[in-house]
Amino acid sequence: MSLLQHRPWLATGLLAAMFAAPSYGLPEPPKESPAEEAEGCLGCHEDPSIEVAFADGTRRTLQVDRNAFAQSVHFGKVACSECHPGFQEIPHPERRYASEDEFRAGMRQACQTCHFQDYSRYMDGVHHAVAKEGGAAPTCVDCHDAHAVTPPGKPRSRVSDTCSTCHSDVAETYASSVHGRLLAGPRPDDAPVCTDCHRSHDIQDPKSQAFLLRTPETCGGCHSDNQRMKPYGLSTKVMSTYLADFHGMTASLAAPHAEGSTRVTAVCVDCHGVHDITKVDEPGSKVMKENLLKTCQQCHPDAAGDFPAAWLSHFEPSLERAPLVYLTRQFYVIFIPFVIGGLVLQILLHFWRVVVNR
Amino acid sequence: MSAHEYVVRFSTRQRVEHFVVMSLFVILALTGFPQKFYDSGWAAAVVGLFGGVPQMRWVHRVAGYCLLFATIFHFFFVLLEVVVRKARLSMVPERQDFKDAIHQLRYYLRLEDTPARFDRFDYREKFEYWGLVFGNMIMVGSGLVLLYPMVVARYLPGELIPTAKIAHSNEGLMAFLVVITWHVYNAHFAPDIFPFNKTIFTGRISKHHLQKEHPREFERLFPDESAAAVASAATTPAAPAAEPPAPAPGS
Repeated sequence: MSLLQHRPWLATGLLAAMFAAPSYGLPEPPKESPAEEAEGCLGCHEDPSIEVAFADGTRRTLQVDRNAFAQSVHFGKVACSECHPGFQEIPHPERRYASEDEFRAGMRQACQTCHFQDYSRYMDGVHHAVAKEGGAAPTCVDCHDAHAVTPPGKPRSRVSDTCSTCHSDVAETYASSVHGRLLAGPRPDDAPVCTDCHRSHDIQDPKSQAFLLRTPETCGGCHSDNQRMKPYGLSTKVMSTYLADFHGMTASLAAPHAEGSTRVTAVCVDCHGVHDITKVDEPGSKVMKENLLKTCQQCHPDAAGDFPAAWLSHFEPSLERAPLVYLTRQFYVIFIPFVIGGLVLQILLHFWRVVVNR
Repeated sequence: MSAHEYVVRFSTRQRVEHFVVMSLFVILALTGFPQKFYDSGWAAAVVGLFGGVPQMRWVHRVAGYCLLFATIFHFFFVLLEVVVRKARLSMVPERQDFKDAIHQLRYYLRLEDTPARFDRFDYREKFEYWGLVFGNMIMVGSGLVLLYPMVVARYLPGELIPTAKIAHSNEGLMAFLVVITWHVYNAHFAPDIFPFNKTIFTGRISKHHLQKEHPREFERLFPDESAAAVASAATTPAAPAAEPPAPAPGS
């Protein structure tokens, strides 16, 4: 991209310089680095009184915090004019914005030039869907900031802090959950933060079955990982045992065809809770034996008696746990090969004898 | 004896029952196996065919109920025939069946020169019939436990529900394997049968086949011809199609 194309005033200056310098030929154009350009912009934009007025009567500051901007991953690499094209002319040509939303919508386009993949993921996400309908939803700069762009997950707790700007009630519940406490503890890297389950740009509607029926994969990502579960003494069989049961099998089958938000089957969060998830043996745990019937009744209002025992609590059947299930399974492990083997042998013998007779 | 002479082997009721059970078996296997092999690609394709898991399960349950009613009807009719028409219980295993089985096995191993001489239903047919009856009872019983887990758990241990799931899943697999090996071989691929034993659909068996496969029944039906057949099978005079002496219960 030509420097001159975007800086007509610079072209004028250069022409003047050529005529003013008779014997040196064409001088090197003074190439302005992104930092140098920023210096020029900050000359005005550090001023807290600099503002833009919108047609709807609202105003917005145009101040840029020098120190915050200096921390940005973009600082010194991306020039102001790359995100704000058409503002090189000073004074800036007059522009009219109906509202702050319109102003921000224009600015957002700038991100996709470099971050096309994340931008298009965002377009698939629930935040964009809300924004499209005219609702209040965050765009790039609401989570990443406009000028103080720093790695969003450093430290990890920053992710939940960012989301809590709008989702403060959820953030509060999460903070007291087993995952939230882990995040605040000495091993924050082990804790799932908002974006680990919800993703960051292509966030799905959390009430949709398309999202909920993938919960086993979401939770299983960590909970079937031996390395991750070892320090906490947690079983990694939780996913396989869930999938082997009626609920898990239904979730696997229904996931590719999921639509709407009518519950098809119970997934992890239906029994364990979502943001309020606790340790299984903690008081108030939805899955401890005393509370299990009540948890079942959320979906099976008629559940009574020994119904919770129909679920083997993520244990694989054994002689100690669920002996009837174990023995039935072992019976068929022997019986099916015995019967089918016997019949196939008889078929082969019959066939052989017929052939021999001919 | 002409190859075009027939004996009625199965009544209309029996042929309809076979057709109903066969159709239900196919529907139940088609709607059941995707649930057993839930993580395979073809399972997802079959679910898509039905428009979703709830729809597929609905078909499975309706077919299951139909099988339950078909089983009840079957035993009701057998009882009726036995009590009212004094029919012979030709499907009940007898001492002779065990002798036949051993004889047949010895024949396969070339320890006997001739195959066992079977009556109306041979031990293989009886085995398959009773296999179906007991398998059916397990499938219908465990299916009902899975359909009404809340009712079951109110009175019985909850562990029966995952037990029923294991039993339903494995018994179903076994039934399927028996049918695609044993039944398909005996009704289609056995060298003397190939390509298709139509008797259960037409109800008729040729006298030739009856004499070959059920010689003892043939002797009871046609005592004169049997004697002649021993002398010379080629010169046996033609005889009109005959009714069996008594309607036989069993599918």
